[in-house]
Amino acid sequence: MSTVKILRVILRGLPNTLLLLSWSLILATVLGMLLTRMKLAKGRFWQGLANLYLNLVRGTPPLLMLLLSYYGLPVLLKLISINIEHWTRLMFGVFGLTIGWSAYLAEAFRSAYLSVDPGQLEAARSVGMNNRDALFRIILPQAAVNALPNVENLVIGLVKATSLVYVLGLFDMYNEAANLSNQTAGIHQLQIFVLLALTYWLIVLIIEAIFRQIRKHFALMA
Amino acid sequence: MLLSVKKLEKRFGKRTVLKGVDFSVDQGEVVVIIGPSGSGKTTLLRNLNFLENADAGTMNFKDRQIDLAHPKKDDVHFVRRHSAMVFQNYNLFKNKTAQENIAEGLIYGQGMDKRQALTIASDELKSLGLAAQANHYPSQLSGGQQQRIGIARATVLKPDVILFDEPTSALDPELVGTVLDDMRRLAQAGQTMVVVTHQMSFAKNVASRIVFFDDGQIVESGSPDQVFNHPREERTRQFLGALAENY
Ligand SMILES: Nc1ncnc2c1ncn2[C@@H]1O[C@H](COP(=O)(O)OP(=O)(O)OP(=O)(O)O)[C@@H](O)[C@H]1O
Ligand SMILES: [Mg+2]
Repeated sequence: MSTVKILRVILRGLPNTLLLLSWSLILATVLGMLLTRMKLAKGRFWQGLANLYLNLVRGTPPLLMLLLSYYGLPVLLKLISINIEHWTRLMFGVFGLTIGWSAYLAEAFRSAYLSVDPGQLEAARSVGMNNRDALFRIILPQAAVNALPNVENLVIGLVKATSLVYVLGLFDMYNEAANLSNQTAGIHQLQIFVLLALTYWLIVLIIEAIFRQIRKHFALMA
Repeated sequence: MLLSVKKLEKRFGKRTVLKGVDFSVDQGEVVVIIGPSGSGKTTLLRNLNFLENADAGTMNFKDRQIDLAHPKKDDVHFVRRHSAMVFQNYNLFKNKTAQENIAEGLIYGQGMDKRQALTIASDELKSLGLAAQANHYPSQLSGGQQQRIGIARATVLKPDVILFDEPTSALDPELVGTVLDDMRRLAQAGQTMVVVTHQMSFAKNVASRIVFFDDGQIVESGSPDQVFNHPREERTRQFLGALAENY
């Protein structure tokens, strides 16, 4: 089978892979920030809630997280009369990955926040800035810079994790490739999977290049 | 009296670090605080700027009287707005350029127009001979440059008093002079200052008053000549004697 033909099949799954990646990343970032905010809150209630979530999620393999979302979430939500039967497989995939990566990102955000020198906040206060300005102008920008290396690793992990959505019957790059391999009774298996690996590798390379640029841009601020 | 605190107490856990300090600063004074390591000098300065919560005491600052153990938010802001702090480790905002560092407090502490603040910052850098560093981040500046900008960040706010906590002790010896020169110029211009330092020549030549601090208390206070040449207290004599041996 020609390389071009195999690649064409693999790339049929690219939109789904990229949709999973980008939506999960955006939503997990938002949720992760919320969790970080809860963990750093003074109230025990919010801290406890965040800890419960983080512990549960961290202890669950991503594959299982996807299966639980797909089979469990509709049942769970039906209990409170919310019907999500019209959800597409993609939405379940995004949901499962979001839950998982929100927890990992929350941990990265929290440690980045805590690694900002307390002297920065003191300096901001001493020049008369209020807490809000100090947070948004001084603390959070520095925390964001601190978080970059960990976030990069998590994004690369997420790229690879998108391949797990085959368990939901969703056709991403991996599932397209596996399907093609099955159709041809495994004769071209090696060829197909090497090409698939190269495709993932290329995506990761692009992500690394983007992060390198971002890091370079902010290097002086750390 | 510009600033005074009475019976200031501060504990860390079981340890009482400030044991009822009475301390005051007059308009135009340069008060230099000397004393052994761990005696509570930094803690005293930090309390004057509400970077620590005192356990007891009162403060009079300008026309306000403040309960140090329960300061009102508005009073804290008032004090910070009319005073400024220079830190041992500079604490320049790492994500801001030299110019932005100086302008930040003008804009976000005092509500000045951004363009005007940046112009003031740039003029200030010019007068320090640091115009070329305006767009440098702290990571691109030497310790001496950082501290001089730290001082500029404080002075542009035109505070009634500037609190200095060992501004030169993190610097390489050859950079100390530039920072002390800036401070001397400020003092000559009439800026009220409270300076914690181990730089005895600065203390002797620039201070209008020396405060010797030990074990959470002011042991004695007087003119440089009086404290250095005719100390009243035995503890002061011991401290100055030990200094003379070490330097
Ligand atoms: N945040 C803190 N928590 C607990 N103890 C503290 C804290 N800050 C200071 N201390 C203690 O309070 C005492 C006084 O510290 P402080 O830093 O005020 O001394 P100092 O006179 O400034 O000393 P140095 O000359 O070394 O800077 C020290 O014993 C110190 O260990
Ligand atoms: Mg100190």
